[in-house]
Amino acid sequence: MFSESFLRKLETLTLATRGRAHGQLKGLHRSRRVGSGMVFADFRPYSEGDDIRNIDWGIYLRLDRLILRLFEEEADLPVYLFLDASQSMDAGERASKLDYARRLAGAIAYMALLNHDRVNLAAFADGLREMLPTRRGKNQARQAFAFLEGIAAGGRTSLQAALRRYFSSPRTRGLVVIVSDFLDRDGVEDAFSVLRRFRHDVALLHVMSPEEREPQLPEEVVLVDAEEGTTNEVQITSALLAAYRETFERHARDIEAYCRRYGWAYARAHTDIPVETFLLRILREESLLR
Amino acid sequence: MRFLDLSAGAALLLFAGVAAAVVLLYLLKPSPRRLAISSALIWQRVLKERRRRPERLRWWLSLLLALGIALSVTAALTRPEVAAVSGTASDVVLVIDTSPTMGARRADGRTRLAHALEQAGQIIAGRGAGSRYLVADTMHQTAVTAFESREAALQRLRAIEPATAGMPWFPDVPSADTNGAQDAERRQVWFVTDGVASVVAPEDARTVSVFQVADNVGITAFEVRAVPADARRHEAYVEVTNGSAGVRRVEMRIAGIGAPAVARELELAGGASASVVADVSAFGEGPLRASVRADGDALALDDVAYAYLPGKGRVRVALVTGGNQELARTLRLLPRLDVEVIGPAALRDAIRYDAVVLDRFVPSEPPVVPTLLIGPRSVPWLVRARGELTDTRLASWDGSHPLLSGVSLRDVLIDRAALLAPGTVERAPALVAVARAPGGEPLILATREGRRLALVSFALDASNFPQQASFPAFLSNAIDWLTREPRALAARVGQVSVPVPDGRVLDLDGREISTRTAPGATLFDAGQPGLYTAVTREDRIRVAVNLLDPQITALNASHFAQGAVPLASTQDAPPVGTDPWIVLLVLAALLLALEWWTYNRRVTV
Repeated sequence: MFSESFLRKLETLTLATRGRAHGQLKGLHRSRRVGSGMVFADFRPYSEGDDIRNIDWGIYLRLDRLILRLFEEEADLPVYLFLDASQSMDAGERASKLDYARRLAGAIAYMALLNHDRVNLAAFADGLREMLPTRRGKNQARQAFAFLEGIAAGGRTSLQAALRRYFSSPRTRGLVVIVSDFLDRDGVEDAFSVLRRFRHDVALLHVMSPEEREPQLPEEVVLVDAEEGTTNEVQITSALLAAYRETFERHARDIEAYCRRYGWAYARAHTDIPVETFLLRILREESLLR
Repeated sequence: MRFLDLSAGAALLLFAGVAAAVVLLYLLKPSPRRLAISSALIWQRVLKERRRRPERLRWWLSLLLALGIALSVTAALTRPEVAAVSGTASDVVLVIDTSPTMGARRADGRTRLAHALEQAGQIIAGRGAGSRYLVADTMHQTAVTAFESREAALQRLRAIEPATAGMPWFPDVPSADTNGAQDAERRQVWFVTDGVASVVAPEDARTVSVFQVADNVGITAFEVRAVPADARRHEAYVEVTNGSAGVRRVEMRIAGIGAPAVARELELAGGASASVVADVSAFGEGPLRASVRADGDALALDDVAYAYLPGKGRVRVALVTGGNQELARTLRLLPRLDVEVIGPAALRDAIRYDAVVLDRFVPSEPPVVPTLLIGPRSVPWLVRARGELTDTRLASWDGSHPLLSGVSLRDVLIDRAALLAPGTVERAPALVAVARAPGGEPLILATREGRRLALVSFALDASNFPQQASFPAFLSNAIDWLTREPRALAARVGQVSVPVPDGRVLDLDGREISTRTAPGATLFDAGQPGLYTAVTREDRIRVAVNLLDPQITALNASHFAQGAVPLASTQDAPPVGTDPWIVLLVLAALLLALEWWTYNRRVTV
C-alpha cells in the first residue's frame, strides 16, 4: 500500500487531538487523569493508600503536613477510522476515490498504531459493512492494511446509520476520522450530531475527484446515479455548469463550516493531489498531524 | 378555407399524417448518452433550483414548434385558399377572340388583339390568389385542356396571335373543376372580343369589348380571266370595298411581270364597293398582285390579293383527219395556234406537238401528248361504245368546266353519236361527262388523269356543231385546256388543300414551305395572301391565296357598334391579395428561427 520511504516519513508524525486523551492505557497523549506522568498537575492532602513516592517531603518539613504531588498521566488515544465504501466512492471517475480514501485511512492507521494508539477501522455504506477490532502497536499495521485492501465499494451512503450503529456500543471517547465524499442523501448533520453527543474529537477528510469539481459533460446527457440508479436528462450549458460548481462548493463549505463551528478538523482530499502531499502538508496545516 | 391542390378530406388526412410523423419522430428521438456519475445528489440540487421550466414542458414546447413548422409547410404545399387573406379564388375561363378583324389597329396604333390580351391580363390580375385559369381562343390556336396557374395562363396569353383564316366559334370549355367537384360559383367565363365575328358566347359569359371604330379599305374580289371575244387578251376583275363609315379615297394598283402597273383612283362612300375591270394583257405570264392604299387603313391583311396570269405563247397542234377541211380551217383561225395536218403514221412523232386533234381516227395506243378525239366509234384503250345514238342533241352541259367556259350548246343537233360507256376499260383514265344528251348519255367527255384528253362522241359532219358560233370557242377552250397550265386555284388564307398527293409547295420567292399530307391532297398553311406553287412529278399547280372576305373588311360591323351587348368590367373582382401559401412559408420560416433561438437558449429540447 505504501513504499518504505513513505512509511519512514509517517513514523515522524503523530496524530494530534484538540482535547485530552481518554485512553485507559499508557500512551503518548496527555489525559485528564493524574498519576504517574512527568508533568506536574496539582497538590492534594495525602490519604491512606496513596503512593508515598509522590509525597512532597519539603512541604512536610516546612509545614509538618503530608501533601501529595499530582502528575498528569499520559494515555493512549482511541482512533476510530471510518472509511466510506459506498458505490459513489468508486463510480465513473478516472481515479477511484475509494483507493485514495483507502490510502489515507491506511496512513492514519499506521501513524496511530506507531504511537500505541488503539485503532478501530470500520467500512460503511448504508450501514456498517465491515469492522476491524481494536488494534494497537506497530505490528498490527499489516492487518490494518489487509483490512483496508479488502474493502469493496457498494451500496448507498448513510453515514448516520453507520455511526449510530457503531456508537450504540460503549466506546471510549477518542478521535473519529471519517474519510468520505459525504454525498449522503439523508444529510450529514444528523450523523455528525451523533459524534457531538459522544464528544469525540472529529476529523473529516472530504474526498473529491476532479470530475466532481469540474465535470466535463456532453451537451445532452443522461446522468445515472451510481448508488440509486436514478437518471436525470440534462442539457448542459455553461450556466448550468457554473451552477453545479457553485452548489458543489457550497456543499463542501457547509460541511467545513459545521466542522469549524464545533472545532473539528476538516480537509479536502483532492484525488488529483498525491496522498503523500496531502498527508505531509495539508493535514499538518490542518493541525491533525504534528 | 379551401385547398386548391387537394380535397378537404385529403388535406386533413395529409395534416394528420404529417403531425403523426413529427410526433413519432419526437418519440423516436435518440436518447442522449448515459453517463454514470458517483452521485446525482449535487446535480439534483442544481436542477431543482434552476429548472424553472419542467423538462416535460420544454419537450411539449419543442414539439409544438416542430408541429407548427411541419404543418405550415404542408399547408403551403396544399395551396389553401383563405378568402380573408387572398380574396375569393375562381376558376376563370378566358376566351380571346382571335378572328382576323382582331388584327385591326386602333387609334393608338395597337391592334384590337393587343388590347384584348391586355384586358385578359387585367382579368387575371384581378382574381383572387389561388384562382386557376383556362385560356382559349375562338380560332382554336390554344388547346383547351385544363385549368392552369396564373403564370401559365399569362404565358399562354403571350403566345396568342391574330388568326388569318378559319371559322371562329366559342370553344367548349370545361364546366367543372379538376377535382371533380361541381362548383358553379367558382367558375367565371370571360369573352374578350371586338364583336365583329359571329361568335355566340354562353349566357353566363361576361363579355369585354375591345371594339373601336376603324377605317379600312380592302380588296374583296380579284380574278383574272380571258376576254371572251379574244383569247389572246386577259382582264382582271377587282372589287374594292370601303369598310369605313365615311368616304375614302383609294389608290388601287395591279402589278405584274413585264409592264408598268395598272393604277386606278377610287372614291368610295362608307360601306360601298367598287368593281374595276382592267386589261392585263400587257403583263407576261406569271403572278399578278392587286393592292389598295388608303390613309389610316386599320387592317393590312385585306389590302393585297394575288392571281396568276396564264401564258400566251404559240401552240403547235397536229390534226389527223379524213379530209375535214372545215375543222382544219377553224383551227388555223384560232390565235396562237400553228396547225399541221398529218397522217396517222406521223403520230409516232406526236411528241413534237403540244396537242393532237384526231378526227374520226383512233390510234391503237394512246397518244403521248394531250389529245382531242372527235367522232371515234370506239376507243379500245379508253372507253367502249355500247351502240349509237341518233337524232339527239346536247341537252345539258357543265358551263363551269374549262372546256365549255363561255360556250353555248343549246342549238347543237346531232344525227349520230357513239353511245359510250365510261369505266368499261380496265385501268383506263376516268372520264367525266361534261355534256349529255337528253337521256343522260355522255356526248362530250374529258379526263385529266395522265395526259389530258377530251372526247366528242359524234362526228362533226354528223351534227351542226361546226356551224354554231360557239364551235370556235369550244375548239379554243379545248386547245387551251389541253395545252395550258390550269388556272390558278383560289384558296382562302389559312389552311390550304391542293388536290395532288405528296406535292412540294413553294412561295413567291421560291422558298419551300412545310406541308402535310392528306389522302389525295397536300396541305399547307398560308398565313398571308400570296401566290404559291404546288409541284409534283407530273404537274405544277398555282394557288392564289387571298382573304377576299367582305365580312372581315367591314371592321365596324360589330355588335358593340350598336351598344346592344351588356359589357362587363375587368375590375369587378376584389383586388388580388397575398397567396396564403406565401404567408404559411413565412410563418414556417419565423417558427424555424424561433425554434433555433429557443433551442440555443435551452428553452426547447
